Amino acid sequence: MYRTQLLCIITAVLTLSACSNHVKVSGDYPAPLIAPLPVSAGLVLDGDFTSYIYQEDVEDRWGRSIELGESQSQLLRTVLPSVFSGYTEKNTLPAFPARNAQLWLHPSIQELQYATPRETRLKLFEVWIKYGIKAYDSEGQLLADWIVTAYGKTPSAFMKSEEDALNAALVVALRDLGANLTLQTRHVPEIKDWLQGIQTGDSL
Amino acid sequence: MKDIFSFKAQAILLIIALSGCTSVVIDEHKHSEKLSAWQEGEQALVLGRRHSSNYETEPDLVQCVGDIVRSQTQINVIEEPTFLDELYPWFEPRTAPLRVKDMRRLMANGQVAKALQQRQLRYLIWIDGATETTQSAGSIGCAISVGGGGCFGFGSWEKESDYKATVWDLKENKPMGEISADASGTSYMPAVVIPIPIIARVQKNACEAMAKQLVGFFNGDQ
Repeated sequence: MYRTQLLCIITAVLTLSACSNHVKVSGDYPAPLIAPLPVSAGLVLDGDFTSYIYQEDVEDRWGRSIELGESQSQLLRTVLPSVFSGYTEKNTLPAFPARNAQLWLHPSIQELQYATPRETRLKLFEVWIKYGIKAYDSEGQLLADWIVTAYGKTPSAFMKSEEDALNAALVVALRDLGANLTLQTRHVPEIKDWLQGIQTGDSL
Repeated sequence: MKDIFSFKAQAILLIIALSGCTSVVIDEHKHSEKLSAWQEGEQALVLGRRHSSNYETEPDLVQCVGDIVRSQTQINVIEEPTFLDELYPWFEPRTAPLRVKDMRRLMANGQVAKALQQRQLRYLIWIDGATETTQSAGSIGCAISVGGGGCFGFGSWEKESDYKATVWDLKENKPMGEISADASGTSYMPAVVIPIPIIARVQKNACEAMAKQLVGFFNGDQ
């Protein structure tokens, strides 16, 4: 009787672990150490972004569904208040003119790819994410529309589940997105020109 | 009581006997024979290199080296994740300085310079490398039935570690030295009903050998 129960439990555990195909990304993100830009920013986090779930089309691939929306929103909510002097958030583009922020950023996710050790023969999980960012001024004029890429990898450590390893790679990729936004936004040519215009205007 | 002790002693002896063999080769190169005087409160940091496309320095190896250096020297070693969060995003895989002269560029940023001064960070130890399984052979089959279960077969695999530790002195703004550790070992797993792993602790041995050399480096041993 005892042996039968044990066998059932082992079979159930093996079956469930083989079917685990969903990863909900979870991580903590630090605020960046940087002098903020002297402008206020509004972040538009729409429903497509905050509840984004990646669905893999190839049926026999491991990791069919990746729930990224909440974690990528959390990253932007942590990073952007340190990059700009003022910060506000909306879930849709505001009715312009929108004077409560000088610059409105509207991110969207364009592509996500991942690779597992069994596909690459490397002892690594890798993730690539492509984001599109649109920037508007307070009058609603499109200032810039640029691509930001994020890359993360992590070793598939012994005894670590594949879900944990893929989650770790995704967290590294989101940290990379945060680093990119923190350091590169001010160097996007259109944003740089616009910032110079703002500063010139302030000094007049 | 005696039986328990005897069982424990046998178990320890069995574990020791079942450890696979590992060979480690250490190479050290010092740029400066003498370290400048260590000031009280100064700290060191062990960081893993993560910019390579086909491997990643394992966080547990970095932690292992840091723990040994911390326990065997007077140096306070900062935890890697704490430092990476405090200095985010300046030491991320894509943004971390690759050469000691890149630190000057980083220190030009007032906030980074202030954070490093507050930390009194004196030595930065970069560890670059990984442990990989290079060969594996054999097979083990297992079966479970209502009457019981068991495994039968034999497997073996070889692992190789290749690490390089580079020490930067941030006060002097120059590299102090490099230590490389190459380790290899073969693990075995015979299975007659129960699989018995005989594991070669390749990464652990590489860590201990490299950390021991770093301890000697900081303690001024020749």
